[in-house]
Amino acid sequence: MLRRILTNALMWLVLIIAVVWTVIPVMWMISLSFKTYGEWRTPSLLPRNPTLDNYIMLFSPQALGIFIAYTAILEPIVGPLSRTLIISATATVIAVMIGFFTAYGASRYNSPGPFTLFFTLLTRMLPPATFVTPIVIYFTTLYLIDNIIGLILLYAATTVTYAIWILKGFIDAIPVEWEEAALLEGASPLQVLFKVIIPIARPGLVVAGLFIFLMAWTELLFALVLTNLNVPLSVQVSKYVTAVGALWGVQAAAALLSSIIPLVIGYLIQRHLITGFTFGLVRG
Amino acid sequence: MPEKPPRPIKILSSLPLNLLLNGVLIIPFIIMIYLALVKWSPLVGVNWWNAPFGGVVNFQRALSDSRFIEALGRTALFVAIVVPLELLIGLLLAYILQKPFRGKRFVISLLIYPLMLPPVVVATVFYLFFQPYGPVNNIFLQYVIGPRALNIYWFLDPTLAFITIIVADTWQWTPFMFLIMYSGLSAVPKRLIEAAEVLGASEWTIFWKVRLPLIKPLISVAVILRSLEAFKVFDYVYVMTGGGPGTSTESISLYIYRLAILYSDISYAAAVSLIVLAIIFIVSYFAVKILVGRR
Repeated sequence: MLRRILTNALMWLVLIIAVVWTVIPVMWMISLSFKTYGEWRTPSLLPRNPTLDNYIMLFSPQALGIFIAYTAILEPIVGPLSRTLIISATATVIAVMIGFFTAYGASRYNSPGPFTLFFTLLTRMLPPATFVTPIVIYFTTLYLIDNIIGLILLYAATTVTYAIWILKGFIDAIPVEWEEAALLEGASPLQVLFKVIIPIARPGLVVAGLFIFLMAWTELLFALVLTNLNVPLSVQVSKYVTAVGALWGVQAAAALLSSIIPLVIGYLIQRHLITGFTFGLVRG
Repeated sequence: MPEKPPRPIKILSSLPLNLLLNGVLIIPFIIMIYLALVKWSPLVGVNWWNAPFGGVVNFQRALSDSRFIEALGRTALFVAIVVPLELLIGLLLAYILQKPFRGKRFVISLLIYPLMLPPVVVATVFYLFFQPYGPVNNIFLQYVIGPRALNIYWFLDPTLAFITIIVADTWQWTPFMFLIMYSGLSAVPKRLIEAAEVLGASEWTIFWKVRLPLIKPLISVAVILRSLEAFKVFDYVYVMTGGGPGTSTESISLYIYRLAILYSDISYAAAVSLIVLAIIFIVSYFAVKILVGRR
């Protein structure tokens, strides 16, 4: 009996430590982002005189005189933010559309064949860094460097595999009889696709889209490589650390600002993450 | 349903995907092989498609490049540390959370939110966390080793800097292992566990003899996926240590990035990339064979 109580207590302790360890870093960042310059290096958990200066600095670097030295390398964050929004949204639409058509063919007719599908998986497994060299040369030749179209195409190509595999699961679950009925009524195959399948598969399209949007939003390596002046948000956030140095509060504010949308998306899709991760591999 | 896809469906389901993959990934792959076999950098003064043939010189150079071999070994060591660490913590938490209690869903949400954060953000958080006068020194260590804790420079010592990267990776990716293990353990049929309980097995025995064997295939897949992912490590190193001090925490991804972008050593960077790809293929082939194919 005592052993049981002890085990239970130990389990609760482990769980509490895990939750605290997971929550503390971001809580501390939130607090730091509202602290004044003099308070950044003190151990206080809450800001004594909460201020919005760090966030103002992000939007207009000139606003605060003491940081004037940095204004040359940092543009207001509105630019990178809108670039990332455009890039992620466009890449998501392209990847989900192409992924949907491919998934439909794969689910119903085995077209394209298994080799192409396996190849799309491969693109997720290999280190992206190994493709940096040729992509820089290739995109430079095509004038796609520092051009959002370059990043859009690249993100669409590297995330389309998620769309295919997520959507294939959704389409597999739609009864074939519904399509056959529509075909018998005289609908063309394309009408079936757009009028029958898309409305039913809409939740799948949304999940795949949110997931890809998250991927595109958070990518850093190719964002660094393919841009010079028109940087997306992830590069801008890294610049606050690598190029600016000791502005703790501003770094924290930048990191938080770029996390809001990913966290909202994560909250929306977490149900699918929790249920969908066994790959059918556990058999009793 | 007809066996053969109707023409419009056939076109829609293969043409756009092929255009995208060929245009954006296959052509660069071919260019990479070409670049590795020629001698070219922007300094050569000719267009890259007219570069002089170099044969295997770039590959030979890699074999005697200690910075390359060290980066490779360091990345392998990193994978060998973080993957088991994340698996064990993830499995432990997944096991604890099998018990029903109030607010479980909320606890799970809290445990997995690091997965959603951009890696750049996680890197920034831990970069700040480990600064001198940052919270790790200021709050935690000061109680343990006294005021000299304030002046520990985590990013100026090769081992300490490496540890900060391990901490950041573990913080963000343990939830991934946890999620997979949690789904796996939840999918173990209740009747098997009840049967074992009726036979008088202890909780410990049930875990080792019933639950663990059933989720073993899942563990194999999770370890392979996570290892491939951990091998790519770039963001944390780039933001937190910049590969420093010196090149002592440089990962293979960061080294290739620097060869291609910072040093513009294009042909050599392409050769190194191909070697890394070859190594990954060979290692994952055997890993899949050993871990998954045994059944």
